[in-house]
Amino acid sequence: MEQNFIKPPVELRYADELAFLRKADTGRRPENWQLSPKTVRTFILGGTVTAEDGSSMDIPRKFYGNDALVERAIITLAGSRGLMLVGEPGTAKTMLSELLSAAICGSSTNTVQGTAGTTEDMIKYSWNYALLLSKGPCREALVPAPLLIGMERGIFARFEEITRTPAEIQDSLISVMSDQILNIPELGNDGMILARPGFNIIGTANTRDKGVNEMSGALKRRFNFETVAPVRDVKLEREIILREAADLCKAGHIDCAPDKDVAELLAVTYHELREGITAEGTMVEQPAAVMSTAEAVSVYFQTLCHAWYYGSGTMELPVLTENLLGAVCKENRDDLEKLKGYFNTAVKKKSQGGGLWKEFYKTAGLLR
Amino acid sequence: MEGILQDSRAAQVTPPDFSAQVLFFPVRHHSPVCAFQLRQAAAAYQPECILIEGPENANDLIGVLTDAHTRMPAAIYYFYKDKKKYVSEDARDYHCYYPFLESSPEYAAMQTAKEMGIPARFIDLPYSEILIHTGAERGLRSEQERHSYADDSRLVQSRFYQKLCEKTGLRSFEEFWEQYFEIRGLRMTPADFMHQMLVYCTLTRDATPAAQMEEDGTLAREQHMALRIREAMESFSRILVVTGGFHSPGLAERIAKPVKPLRLHKFTDDLHGCYPIAYSYAAADALAGYASGMPHPYFYDRITQELAASGSPEGIYSRTVLSLLTETAKACSDKDLPLSIADVTAAWTVAQGLAALRESPEPGYAEGCDGVTAALIKGEKTPAASLPLQMLHKLATGDGVGHIGDQSHVPPLIQDFEQQAKLLRLKTDTAIPQEADIALFKSERELQKSRFFHRMDFLGTAFGKMRKGPDLHANRDRSRVHELWGYCRTPQVDAVLVDRTTDGTTLAEACRNLASRRLREERRCEIAAHVCVDCFLMGIPLDAADTAVMEEILANDGDFFSVGSGLHAFDMLRELRALYGFEDPANLRYLEQCFTKLTALLPSMAGVDAAQADDCIRIMRLLYGITGSTLPERRGQLCDALEAMTLHGQKEPSVYGAALGLLYATDGTWLLRAEQAMQGYLAGSPEYRKQGALYLRGLFETARDIALTDVQFLHMTDVLLAEMDYEDFMEILPPLRLAFSYFTPGETQTIAGEVAGLHGRDARHVLQGDSVDEMLAAFGAELDASIFRTLREEDA
Repeated sequence: MEQNFIKPPVELRYADELAFLRKADTGRRPENWQLSPKTVRTFILGGTVTAEDGSSMDIPRKFYGNDALVERAIITLAGSRGLMLVGEPGTAKTMLSELLSAAICGSSTNTVQGTAGTTEDMIKYSWNYALLLSKGPCREALVPAPLLIGMERGIFARFEEITRTPAEIQDSLISVMSDQILNIPELGNDGMILARPGFNIIGTANTRDKGVNEMSGALKRRFNFETVAPVRDVKLEREIILREAADLCKAGHIDCAPDKDVAELLAVTYHELREGITAEGTMVEQPAAVMSTAEAVSVYFQTLCHAWYYGSGTMELPVLTENLLGAVCKENRDDLEKLKGYFNTAVKKKSQGGGLWKEFYKTAGLLR
Repeated sequence: MEGILQDSRAAQVTPPDFSAQVLFFPVRHHSPVCAFQLRQAAAAYQPECILIEGPENANDLIGVLTDAHTRMPAAIYYFYKDKKKYVSEDARDYHCYYPFLESSPEYAAMQTAKEMGIPARFIDLPYSEILIHTGAERGLRSEQERHSYADDSRLVQSRFYQKLCEKTGLRSFEEFWEQYFEIRGLRMTPADFMHQMLVYCTLTRDATPAAQMEEDGTLAREQHMALRIREAMESFSRILVVTGGFHSPGLAERIAKPVKPLRLHKFTDDLHGCYPIAYSYAAADALAGYASGMPHPYFYDRITQELAASGSPEGIYSRTVLSLLTETAKACSDKDLPLSIADVTAAWTVAQGLAALRESPEPGYAEGCDGVTAALIKGEKTPAASLPLQMLHKLATGDGVGHIGDQSHVPPLIQDFEQQAKLLRLKTDTAIPQEADIALFKSERELQKSRFFHRMDFLGTAFGKMRKGPDLHANRDRSRVHELWGYCRTPQVDAVLVDRTTDGTTLAEACRNLASRRLREERRCEIAAHVCVDCFLMGIPLDAADTAVMEEILANDGDFFSVGSGLHAFDMLRELRALYGFEDPANLRYLEQCFTKLTALLPSMAGVDAAQADDCIRIMRLLYGITGSTLPERRGQLCDALEAMTLHGQKEPSVYGAALGLLYATDGTWLLRAEQAMQGYLAGSPEYRKQGALYLRGLFETARDIALTDVQFLHMTDVLLAEMDYEDFMEILPPLRLAFSYFTPGETQTIAGEVAGLHGRDARHVLQGDSVDEMLAAFGAELDASIFRTLREEDA
């Protein structure tokens, strides 16, 4: 079923796993949670689960990095404070937020996407004006937005990129988070909406947007913050690239075998450019562009697509280099020089060992 | 725990037998649960004797450590001087600490023995023997472990624990240990706990190669410990043996058979020994570098204290973690990061929730950290935003310093240090860095305080560090009347004082003897003079024998510059003697001796290397100054030496100029000689002419009025410069600029006026140029302002 969508929601993508986990879950769960905190942990961090009827299932790990962060996030969501995931772009904040929502509420789509144009009615509610004119203010005419939906159903409302939203719009969350009440004065006595158990808010904010619309102290106090750091382990990054690319291929019906060596080469390149130092100890300039694992996955998948549609089905390094160039040199012209510098120092040194790095170095001429 | 330790080898580990003649209790150093269970086990087993892992040459100190007035943290300080090269060819000195906290099971064992009225003994090899039986860069000879006897690294670093962490999903050994041993262990029976420890330690030991145990001295130590246990078995029918968990399985195996004794070496007391010293929580922290045991020692000591107070393990961790979170919030508020009760509640809720999620009976320190991370750090977790976490770590580590109650074994030097610190009201019972602002000349007491700090500094204790104040060694900031010292009593302070015990029983005596020894090791007047400066700052006069040594150094040192530095130091000490209220009469003799030596050497310095010319001129000026104050009767002697310099064949131009300048300052008739010398440079080859600038520099440094009073001299200088081509002028420009830097701005203006007159120009015209129209100046100012405004806007 999921293959009919470009990007099926997490609850659909992992429907089988979630169904099995619900069946096998015997732990205590907060009211309106579909899984116990321990099982939510297993869904995200992986493990083998055995049901009472003896059947078992291997649950793959879906989030790599800091396990304790995931645990803290789960416990935060069971409490009275919201969860705010902050970090560099491409560190899987959104993915973690979706996984948590899908596992706990069965829905990861109750979402507000924060932008400069986000208004309060996109967050709370708006009106069907035809009905409003014909019937006056009534529940029928009310169009609930994610916050109201979350409160009424006892599920999470996800607020993506909250710091891109104007500060006064962000602050409209304060009263709801404090009192767990949303007042709709037009509805009179029926206008007092009380949040059902299980309601909470997961926000994400990227640290590159710091200062665009800094959150107020009052709003910060109503959230527990978790900082999601980039993956620092090259091997892990390689695995993520391969796994994510495989998923994307499956969704796009691309039957092209991922190249593990190319994935490793790309993981090393991203890791070294992000850290500013190579495995051999050579200092390299860090590009201003975001060097996230998500970007690496994108570059890798583009190269795979090229191989599938235009090539022989084998990943080609010149194409990889061109895609890398497009991903790194987006906003700042200086990044091109930095990328060239990386090729002329680190890649050149690695190419002396021959193999894939030698081929990679030969593509340096494409950087222009 | 049973689930994660399922292993065929684990099943072979025999549970402890409380009816056996020897009961092994495996411990981890500073672990509260081990201390708690040890007391329970002792109550159940009723031993007749307790044997404890620890170098046996400290057996006399067990009574000191368990004295009613001794307060933890305390440590046994061991030292060994390898003069006989048993350890290695470099014959170095070794020392290490064996720290004890309230939570240390070894301390609990000693206390239990005292309470039960039974003997307690250390059974390990003496410290010297451990070193002798340890391979280079292994065990107590390795860089990581050489300062701490209580080493758990094998429990912490084993690959076995890493597998356990992977299996349990825990982040680190400490998290694993806290959850599976500290918290759950409190709820076990002593037998079950000991069995769990034995299983863990046996599996860890199995993963350690025998060759490694041989190299790091483990096997030799166990051989000796087994011997002592077997000896005790002949006298006692129930023996409780408390050792690091790693040794317990090995010892249990060894005592089944007769043990061959190791050959022990004999040392005199000056070569090896041990003392009880006060220790600090900060030093006992396993995260503090070379220390070992548990991290965050104050947190675990509080657990021990809570256990002792309540008698039941229920809720101990919950109460302590909650208190810590509250204290963290308060500490953050004190640092201008206000945190509310709601924040603490949120952190506590997270900690409790995580404990439940991790199936731990109570939240421990790891959960407390997670609670703080989630609820108290607002925004991105950066080092700057992590203040709450830093405060939590700081509070959990603790800042207290222990105290040794029974002073009979405390070295007299430490006693003297404590007495003086108390008299001077300096805080030595905390590990928090303190500050002392000393108004040097306000009262005798303030001077005493300064001398106390200088004495501690001279002994190399690192007790205090002067942040501000006069630096007499470097001749800097002598006008300051305050000294600002940062100080802190660390275990290293006590350790150094122990080491210095052989130098004396009081700080003054130790400093005098150390100064005396340094003088005897010294051959250079410059360095020896620094020792005299130290003595001056410490208020300690040298005795007659040392004075003779000093005079001998002065007599034998033929280095002009070294003696010159000495002269400077002794002149300074003479100058400051009234201010500091201290005078060593010998200083005047040293001064005279230096003077004599320098004037004798002075003629030979005429041709000194250019790089040393500045130093030479400085000493010449100092000599001249001294003949104007302390030694006026020696002016003639100096003039003779200066005159001899001027007659020297090879003359460094600036030194020559300086000598003539000083002679001119004494007798105006030397002006002619100065002019002739200048003429000589003028008439010389181009290379020689360039040296004229250096000559001028030396001359102006010692007699700048020559340029102000003698027009002829200025005229010659003008000719010198006018006849030089551009490249040569650029070459001499730096020394020339330096030469004129000795004049004040007013004097420079006067000289410029005179020189301008030589060229028929008006001085004012040359210096100031043409006057500018007022309107034009206003326009220029407005243009400047406009440009700056535009630049600022572009920057913004």
